[in-house]
Amino acid sequence: MITGYRYAIVEGFRGLKRAKFSTSISIFTIFLSLVIIAVFLIFILNVHWIVAQIQSRMELEAFIDNSYIQPQIDQLLLQIHEIEGVEEVRYISKQEAAEIFREQFGEDAFKILEDNPLPASFQIRLKPEYRSSEPTQNIFSEILKLDGIDEIIYRHDLLMILERYMHIFLVVIIVMGSLLALSSMILVSNTIKLIIYSRRKTIEIMKLVGATRSFIRRPFLIEGIVQGCLGGGLAALLFYLLFKIINIEIPNLIFVDTRIYLLLLILGIVLGFSGSVIALRKFIKY
Amino acid sequence: MIELSNVKAFYPGGEGLELVNVTVKPGEFVYLIGPSGAGKSSVLKLIYMDIKPQSGFVRVNGFNSLNMKRKQIPLLRRKLGIIFQDFKLLTDRTVFENVAFTLNVTNSRQRDIKRKVLRVLAEVGLRHKENKMPHELSGGEQQRVAIARALVNEPIILLADEITGNLDPLSEEDIISLLEKIHAKGTAILMATHDNRLVRGKNRKIIRIEKGRTIN
Repeated sequence: MITGYRYAIVEGFRGLKRAKFSTSISIFTIFLSLVIIAVFLIFILNVHWIVAQIQSRMELEAFIDNSYIQPQIDQLLLQIHEIEGVEEVRYISKQEAAEIFREQFGEDAFKILEDNPLPASFQIRLKPEYRSSEPTQNIFSEILKLDGIDEIIYRHDLLMILERYMHIFLVVIIVMGSLLALSSMILVSNTIKLIIYSRRKTIEIMKLVGATRSFIRRPFLIEGIVQGCLGGGLAALLFYLLFKIINIEIPNLIFVDTRIYLLLLILGIVLGFSGSVIALRKFIKY
Repeated sequence: MIELSNVKAFYPGGEGLELVNVTVKPGEFVYLIGPSGAGKSSVLKLIYMDIKPQSGFVRVNGFNSLNMKRKQIPLLRRKLGIIFQDFKLLTDRTVFENVAFTLNVTNSRQRDIKRKVLRVLAEVGLRHKENKMPHELSGGEQQRVAIARALVNEPIILLADEITGNLDPLSEEDIISLLEKIHAKGTAILMATHDNRLVRGKNRKIIRIEKGRTIN
């Protein structure tokens, strides 16, 4: 059995060397498919990242009853903190609110009024998993029930729009992603089919002298894996260099998850292997 | 050892076999004679189970077409040596590698492979050409390599399909006498040919085939 595997590995590499041109085409096809898939993935990741950024900046602002004094406010803060889904509560006093107003609109507005009309408030940030519209709405209702809270504001409309578009985006992504994966698979398997076709005589002789199905398939599968590895490795290298250059030129322009390099390598191997499996079905029927 | 009984079979692109009855006993040298397109190659294909009979059965060394599984086909073929008119050699491998191919396929040990290949190459008179590529050999020599490849697994029978068709008369004679030698050592041979000259003056069992029917 070990002899058989060693033979398959030797034959696999021998096949790669023997058909340099078609092997290069196959590697290039896998590389190209992966580049397209990677661009697509990076686009999705970045849209997701931007949405998460917007969601993280979205806070609830709860205004406190003007008659409440500090101990009551402290109590209220604790109550809000205990609500499930609340990550952080920041107290903005009347004075701080006036400061923020001055920074944003200039001092003149307060000169007309004798008193500071701005109420004290809590700025409430939610945990990431509670930042979509439904849980936000639930937390909103719970806080509003508390005595001492006059009003809460948050950009519910923006959240709804964001979620609706994300939903449509997700459907488009799934459809396009599936088509992309399928076309890559067909493309790669057709290229590998050409390589196998050029060696059909070898396969025929193998069958005649009593090679088993798995024995005939093994070298081709190894070739597929090696091709996938090389195609995936090249794609990973390309994106690594590309991101490095972009990061030097314009820092923080795009979000890159470093796992993408490993993913490209694995996808390359999957493409090469499954492409070989599909292509071999045509030539080995028993 | 080999028995085809009332076989009817169809092969894509071929005429098909209507009624075939063939038996080959251990150690026998049998000629299967008939014109081109009569179904000789199909009979051989039935024996190495490249086609399945539509009716009747094929029995080869304990394997029976009626209950044989596809997975068993390689096991059956390891017991047969098959030789063709067009040699079917791997043009990118040496003589040694071509013969060793059969043993590699059956997971033999490297040490055994070398010993067996050199022995069989000596038997067909090509020991000195083990490192040559097929294109460096004459037609007769290439057919000898094919015979060596078929013999290296010590088959119970050699199936020869028009193996002298591409050879000049001298090489043809050479190959036939080599087969006689192999047969003399105890290997059964079933030789399909359209050439009546080959059987003239030989006291061999002959099975004639015409339009997909064997005539006894």
